[in-house]
Amino acid sequence: MPEEGKILDIARISFLNMIKEMMTLGGVAAAKGGLIRNALACAEKIKEVDYPDFDAFIEAIRNATNPITMIEGKAEHTGDGIFGLPACPFAPAISNYTEVFGSLPDGFAEFTEEFNKPGPATSRYRIGEGAGVSPFCAVHQPLRSAIGDRITIGGKQVRIYQLGCKSGAGKKGFADRLIEEAGVDRSVVDAVLDNHMCCYCVKLE
Amino acid sequence: MTDMPEVGESMSVKKKKILVVDDEEDMIWTLRNCLNHEALNADILTASSGEEALGIMEDTPVNLVLTDIRMSGMSGLDLMLEIRERWPSTSVIVMTAFPSPEYKSEVMRLGGLHYIEKPFDIVELRQVVSEAVNDDRSFAGTVVGVSLSDIVQVNCLSQATAALEVTASDRSGTIYFEKGRIVHAESGGETGVEAFYRIMELDGGKISSKKVAKPPEKSIDLPCEALIIEAARRRDESGSGQDEGFNIEALDAEDPFPALSRADDGGDEQNAEDSGGGEAPPSGKTTAQEDEMDGNLRDILGEFTTIPGVNTACLVGRDGFLLDSIATVNVDTEMIGAIASSGFGASESMGRQLGKGNMAMTMIEYEQGPVIFSPVGDEAFLVIVADRDSNLGMIRLKIKKHAQEIMESAAI
Repeated sequence: MPEEGKILDIARISFLNMIKEMMTLGGVAAAKGGLIRNALACAEKIKEVDYPDFDAFIEAIRNATNPITMIEGKAEHTGDGIFGLPACPFAPAISNYTEVFGSLPDGFAEFTEEFNKPGPATSRYRIGEGAGVSPFCAVHQPLRSAIGDRITIGGKQVRIYQLGCKSGAGKKGFADRLIEEAGVDRSVVDAVLDNHMCCYCVKLE
Repeated sequence: MTDMPEVGESMSVKKKKILVVDDEEDMIWTLRNCLNHEALNADILTASSGEEALGIMEDTPVNLVLTDIRMSGMSGLDLMLEIRERWPSTSVIVMTAFPSPEYKSEVMRLGGLHYIEKPFDIVELRQVVSEAVNDDRSFAGTVVGVSLSDIVQVNCLSQATAALEVTASDRSGTIYFEKGRIVHAESGGETGVEAFYRIMELDGGKISSKKVAKPPEKSIDLPCEALIIEAARRRDESGSGQDEGFNIEALDAEDPFPALSRADDGGDEQNAEDSGGGEAPPSGKTTAQEDEMDGNLRDILGEFTTIPGVNTACLVGRDGFLLDSIATVNVDTEMIGAIASSGFGASESMGRQLGKGNMAMTMIEYEQGPVIFSPVGDEAFLVIVADRDSNLGMIRLKIKKHAQEIMESAAI
């Protein structure tokens, strides 16, 4: 039996290549900004929702009716408003790309470094600053935070803090400033990342 | 080879030639852009010193010279006098950085001698230049109607070495300047300070400035400001007419264009101290420090929008997110930041591809006016949106003046 041909998911492949093109044409910072703004534009399409209490919010995550689960699947609440996401929503794209081309496009490390730099966007959306492990975090994290900005619990505004993330190779990234700001112990984030790919916490204003 | 026509002769059918003289590169840049206008239909020549200007004029007939007063080397006033002697048919417009309102351009064009106050309105300047360049009357060199105090100030501030002859119906006198200091005066049989005050009491008359290598003697050793103030006081006491619009206090109070008027006296350092732009703040800024920096940043951005024609000033992170912005018109500054980031990033990428290094201050011209981009440090850039006929040189000067402060304010 001849080996079956590898199939490209063109949407995923082109997205990864697009990031590379954006970096080449406009520079890493502009590419980062472009991805973040793309995520924010997506979040604006999400309908605003209010949950009567935190339990209802968690229940909506468990049964995948929470807007956040729409973009990343079901996260696990590990206590004190801290959540762990078992799988990175971009993992299939990475797998598909590397399966076909062997490795990710050049420059992704540079992009990730740029994403982790403090700036207006990281501050406003409480993302990056060490919690980025790939360019996809520049889409995922602001998207989740911006969706969180459209959620209230008992009338109080939800604020999502990205605390850490783990790459496919197992390397953990921690947003130490945000961990401190959220009042979470770094060891807790570390422990969550042992069993999950992404760690964030939910606070109420 | 065709001979160049003499100025004032057959050049009326040819393009006029305007020579801009200023040792500020930005001002030359501004004036060249401003005057390179179809309505003027003139060739714009430039020189960065009086000496260079004379060299150009020896080879090329020039209709109009637009010169700054304060320049290293030959002053604008000396240049004007030299031109008057050697090319009497060439008009001269002198630019000053005096903040006093009496230097408004509509009263500058008196007797063929023009003063343009910096900062100037581009449209007005173009109008004055247009009138001057299309006026073939020769430059008389005698000023009628401009206050004597103004002329004395011009000589002082321009570091002039000259003799100012003042002739009224009943009296005359001469004030001698050496490198901007009033060193001698003669009037009737008097000399020294009293002669100076007597001359300054004159109302109206004719003023003629002559270039002198050296004053005949030195009989005055007081600062110009003190002499002018005392002269004004005496005029007040004697009840004689005041120099209309002359305001010594205004000179001390506020300088709307310090980058220019303090160019020779360490003004930049002073400005940096005044605005807290000296040492870079430590990386771990306190909230109070951040608030102060934010305040400074808003003040600086606000300064840009006080330039006539500038309607928007944005400080944008390289990723396109706004650090701060001020707009006097209804624009989506967030979107401007995002789009500008793409454009700026693309331009930088092109520069890298071409081996041209980092991007410098640049401008994109649209039908309705320019947009100026300027990197500030590695993390941000300024976007200044202006209307047509904005004072681009002033924008550039302000960017240069505040670059360090903006960079520090932009540091997260």
